[in-house]
Amino acid sequence: MDFHAALALGLPLGIGVAAIGSGIGLGGIGLGAMQAIGRQPEATAKIQLAMIIIAGLAEALTIYAFVTMFMLNGKIG
Amino acid sequence: MGLEFLARVRTTSMIAVAFAAIFVVTYVSPAWAGAFVLGALWSLLNLVALEKIVVGLTTPRQDSAAMLRRAGGGAALLFALLAVGAVLLSRLDPVALLVGFGVPFAIIILKALSLVLVSSAFWRRLTAPSGRTLGMLAACVLLVWAARPLIARAQEGGHGAGTETHPSGSGVTELPTFITLIENGLGADHPVSHFLHTWENVIFSLLVAAILIVVTGLALRRPTTGVPGRFQNAVEMVMEQLHDFFVGILGPTHGPRYVPYLGTLFLYIIMMNLFGLIPFMKSATSSLNITAALGLTTFAYVQFEGIRNLGIVGYLDHLAGNPRSVIQWGMVPLMLPIHVLGELAKPISLSCRLFGNIFGEDMLLVAFMGLGVSILAFTHLPFGIPLHWPLFIGLALLSSTLQALIFSVLSSIYFLLMLPHEHEAEAHH
Repeated sequence: MDFHAALALGLPLGIGVAAIGSGIGLGGIGLGAMQAIGRQPEATAKIQLAMIIIAGLAEALTIYAFVTMFMLNGKIG
Repeated sequence: MGLEFLARVRTTSMIAVAFAAIFVVTYVSPAWAGAFVLGALWSLLNLVALEKIVVGLTTPRQDSAAMLRRAGGGAALLFALLAVGAVLLSRLDPVALLVGFGVPFAIIILKALSLVLVSSAFWRRLTAPSGRTLGMLAACVLLVWAARPLIARAQEGGHGAGTETHPSGSGVTELPTFITLIENGLGADHPVSHFLHTWENVIFSLLVAAILIVVTGLALRRPTTGVPGRFQNAVEMVMEQLHDFFVGILGPTHGPRYVPYLGTLFLYIIMMNLFGLIPFMKSATSSLNITAALGLTTFAYVQFEGIRNLGIVGYLDHLAGNPRSVIQWGMVPLMLPIHVLGELAKPISLSCRLFGNIFGEDMLLVAFMGLGVSILAFTHLPFGIPLHWPLFIGLALLSSTLQALIFSVLSSIYFLLMLPHEHEAEAHH
């Protein structure tokens, strides 16, 4: 397997793997936040803010893979 | 008939000219299209002036002076248009100019003909059964379809202007901005286009900053502590919301000091993010250079505030993990590098997150726009299906707002971590 083929295989796979990870993470964040809102509906605003921040952090991991894909995209073929 | 008819002719000609201009730009040349649009504009303004004269002379009024003044204004406009038209004729392609000039008249004639036709018995008998009408429409469409290859062949036989490719279609990974248009107009080797291309992102970020400054400056031009105007009220509402939001995170003692920086950061980033959704504009935050500058600014400000609030010794103590017992002092060689690395990672993660999200969002829009254009590519029409609408536009709006929020909230949390821990101190004593 030469360099180009490895890149062409690895870049989409990398995004997929990263998406699995942050998908699990986002699910966990959403679960926790929804349960917390269910327990304490009066704290919804605070919980939502924290949830959005942590969701942004988790989502960023996929974005890093995405950016890497775009950076190395031109080297395929 | 009458004035209402003229107004309708005006609207129809404007729409027709806009559509025709798109086709002319694609198939003939931009210069020809410019001359065509100018010709149509000239003709429309002529009509407006004529209408003014007629209305001014025929409307019964008390004072004849105002009436005459109105008509005189129309006549002056007419003469000015004549002079402008002469200049245009000598400079631009006269054929295009005349074709553009003829558009409103053609529309007047077509409209009058259609009025006569629609009220005639022949037309009523022709269109009475809806099946026959549909069949006629289908026949017309098929006729146009069949004529298309002929037009294409005529294009190829022409002066080869149809070979110009669209900037959005041919492997360019970004949407065209007005800077791309200027570059195309001047040619890529021109020093001005080289300069514009190099500083494209900086130009867009400065544009956003200028807009923010102008809006705030206008709101503060005549500030009043009484009942503010609508504009001042809107700006004050934004300021108040941001103030309450960041003070809520940072606490009432230290919060107000950082609200100007954090609020500006939020507004600046959200404006830059949303700017990319305006046609011929670009998100400056889809470049890593801009976001790295923002991240580094936050980093430097946080470290400066840490030193200012805690003192040099307190700052180093904070970096060493506030060692108080023997075990904690033993942990310092481990904790210090971790804390230093953690501080250094903050600007990198801040800037990469913003860049990645906005860049990814823009790429998504480009990909779907390109798809929408290439779906209709076989028709050779200068149109596409707006596939990015409304799902991905909505997604882009959401993520633009969210990323600005995340950037500013994380910045405020970094400030919070550097501030003296008032809550802990209260809890201990």
